[in-house]
Amino acid sequence: MKNRKQQTPARKRAQKRPTKRAPARSRSDAAPSALALAAECTLAQADALQAELARRLDEPQRVIVDVSALQRIDTAGLQLLAAFVQDRRTAGRAVEWRGRAAALDAAAGLLGLRGMLELAGEVGQ
Amino acid sequence: MTVDLTQFHDAFFEESFEALDSMEAALLKLDIGSPEPELINTIFRVAHSIKGGSATFGFSEIASFTHSLETLLDELRSGTMPVTVAVSDLLLKSVDVMRAMLRAVQAKQPIDSQRVSDLQFDLEVAIARKSEPAPPPAAASAAPAGSGGSAAAPAAALGHWRIRFHPYRELLARGNDPLRMLRELAELGELQVRLDAQMLPPLHEISPQDCYLAWTLELPGKVPEEAIRQVFEWAEGDCDLTIERLPAEQEAPAASAAPEPAAAATPPPTRAPEPQTAHQPSSAPAPAPAAAVPPASRLDAPGKSEPALSALGDSGSIRVSVEKIDELMNTVGELVITQAMLSQLGSHFDGPDAEKLRAGLAQLERNMRELQESVMRVRMLPISFVFSRFPRMVRDLTQRLGKQIELKLTGEQTELDKTVLEKIGDPLVHLVRNCIDHGIEYPEARIAAGKPAEGTVHLDACHRGGNIAVEVSDDGGGLDSERILAKARARGLIGPNDTLTEAQIHELIFQPGFSTAEKTTDLSGRGVGMDVVRRNVKELGGKVEVRSEPGRGSRFTITLPLTLAIVDGQSVAVGTETYIVPLISIVESMQLKPSGVTRLSGRGEVLSFRGDYLPIIRLHELFGVEPRSRALHEGLVVIAEGDGRRVGLFVDDLLGQQQVVIKSLEANYGHIDGVSGATILGDGSVALILDVPGLIRAASMRAAA
Repeated sequence: MKNRKQQTPARKRAQKRPTKRAPARSRSDAAPSALALAAECTLAQADALQAELARRLDEPQRVIVDVSALQRIDTAGLQLLAAFVQDRRTAGRAVEWRGRAAALDAAAGLLGLRGMLELAGEVGQ
Repeated sequence: MTVDLTQFHDAFFEESFEALDSMEAALLKLDIGSPEPELINTIFRVAHSIKGGSATFGFSEIASFTHSLETLLDELRSGTMPVTVAVSDLLLKSVDVMRAMLRAVQAKQPIDSQRVSDLQFDLEVAIARKSEPAPPPAAASAAPAGSGGSAAAPAAALGHWRIRFHPYRELLARGNDPLRMLRELAELGELQVRLDAQMLPPLHEISPQDCYLAWTLELPGKVPEEAIRQVFEWAEGDCDLTIERLPAEQEAPAASAAPEPAAAATPPPTRAPEPQTAHQPSSAPAPAPAAAVPPASRLDAPGKSEPALSALGDSGSIRVSVEKIDELMNTVGELVITQAMLSQLGSHFDGPDAEKLRAGLAQLERNMRELQESVMRVRMLPISFVFSRFPRMVRDLTQRLGKQIELKLTGEQTELDKTVLEKIGDPLVHLVRNCIDHGIEYPEARIAAGKPAEGTVHLDACHRGGNIAVEVSDDGGGLDSERILAKARARGLIGPNDTLTEAQIHELIFQPGFSTAEKTTDLSGRGVGMDVVRRNVKELGGKVEVRSEPGRGSRFTITLPLTLAIVDGQSVAVGTETYIVPLISIVESMQLKPSGVTRLSGRGEVLSFRGDYLPIIRLHELFGVEPRSRALHEGLVVIAEGDGRRVGLFVDDLLGQQQVVIKSLEANYGHIDGVSGATILGDGSVALILDVPGLIRAASMRAAA
């Protein structure tokens, strides 16, 4: 039996990689804050995505996440989105999804994250 | 990637045979009319795993047959078909057929297709008769979905795999993406996913390259375990992974309770108070239903599924071939000899460090003994391996004979050496058959005798000293002394005017060629008599005795050594040679007075021992050794017993008692009358281990010659 446990202290930002591609573009003008996800939201872009999401975390208005450009997302990317949605929700702040991305749909479904991301109703519209 | 599946064949056969044994046991416990669901599940699981395995390995005939069987079992499980005697018989026959098929495949022999297809036909007829729209066997796995309201569990009939996948933090950084793995799993079959996001910290605490998520996944049972393992192959070492088969029964509540919110299953993280899967899209385009959440009762109560799972094996044991253990045993035997040699050397050692050396040697001896005992224990198996065949046998026999018999098994956990275990089976079968056939009376006769209509056959095993005693007793009529005497006289085993004690009469049944069965039934009177039982037991170094009371029943007791590898022996000196006399056959040792010996014409020398005259065997004469002394009063006499006869063995001296490792003489040299084996002594010399019954025979032949 393996005795390594998940609870071991997290390695703090072990490998910080330079981002090759901006993970998100922001539109600062609209009243509900909009965040457009880049085509790729994978491990390689995770640091940048985290920074981008962190900036929107305390946004008092609802945050609209536009996924229409999203082509690829992996567990690392989804995990960040999930934490983002969860943090916002705990603080009583809304997150809305805009657009539709098959990649997100499929990946969230497979990982059992649809509920947590509150993807169900919104994407699909 | 191609995997050579033949390497798994042996494991598959072994597991299947074991599984069939447990299926048979479960079938026998099954109450007609009100079967216990857990038993049916056990039976179902066996059929299912054999089907899965045989399909994987391409044993299509077995797979096809078990498929029909599974369909029938599914009807029983769902309650659409009652468990009747006929059904239970059919299932027992199926066990036999599956066993036969597996044996045939294992031996690469052709399968008896006629027998298989006959029974398969019977199975299908039974299915068709009970559930009107007879499901064609091919549609079996889909059948339950259509028939019941359990549309949510399409593959419910097959049981489920539950996979707990708990990635370590570094899994992602090592290039593994759970998403890819889950996608591959989803391709294997309908994947149910339950996410555990409890470890997910707030966004700003996340290290983006770390994985904080874990999953509990479920796949239909028809997916081969190997395929699942392959998906996780690359993540090995980067995650905790458990793959277990869920009994199918636990499917049902899952289906009905599926809409329950996840909050019921997972204590919600403090930061996410509301139910997480509140709105499930009913028409999700995702390849797998998103987070189809199983109810709490299923995932949070491992205690319930554990006993059921243990039936299928992870009991913390490994399979080791007998060969390897024998090799180990042999090496330990050699070590014992080396150690004895060192001890002997050490005892003559002088010098400043002699004391330390002896202390070390004493330690070595203790450790050796422990090692030897541990290795011996590895070879030990509970006698339940043998006992387990009897419930079925008794059931079949009582049905055929029209008797009512209850079989009582006790002491099933008593352990004994595997070699002994394998050889004790047949004698026990014979004894039990005998009890059923001759011992227990027909119900009418029993009631007339004031006994309950149902007779009892009791099998018991226990440790007694360094031996194991196995008893077969019944509460039947007991041995019929009159008939035994008459038979023995007719066969000329005893003279017409000999008077015998009750015990002596009972001994007669062990004589070769003795059988009181008036007519030869296919049960006990098949020409294999009690003499064969005695011979087999004797070959194991044991003995069999009988006690019987008219009208009250009889009791056969087999006493066996725990192992065949080691014997407790008394070493004796004859001239320059050393012999080992097994302690079990020694009554006592004594010094003779010249007056205690009498010469009888034609019967050689006898000694007076407790009012009895025992023949004296001079070992030096028998083995042609030059003794230290030929005068009986100068040496010692060991009174030994074998086959119920006692003799005095004349030896020069007693050397000491010790455990000796038996080396087969037959395997290394050849058979010698009166010698059961050899051993190597501490000084490296070889000592013969005496076989007392054989000695007595050899000596009486010499006397007669």
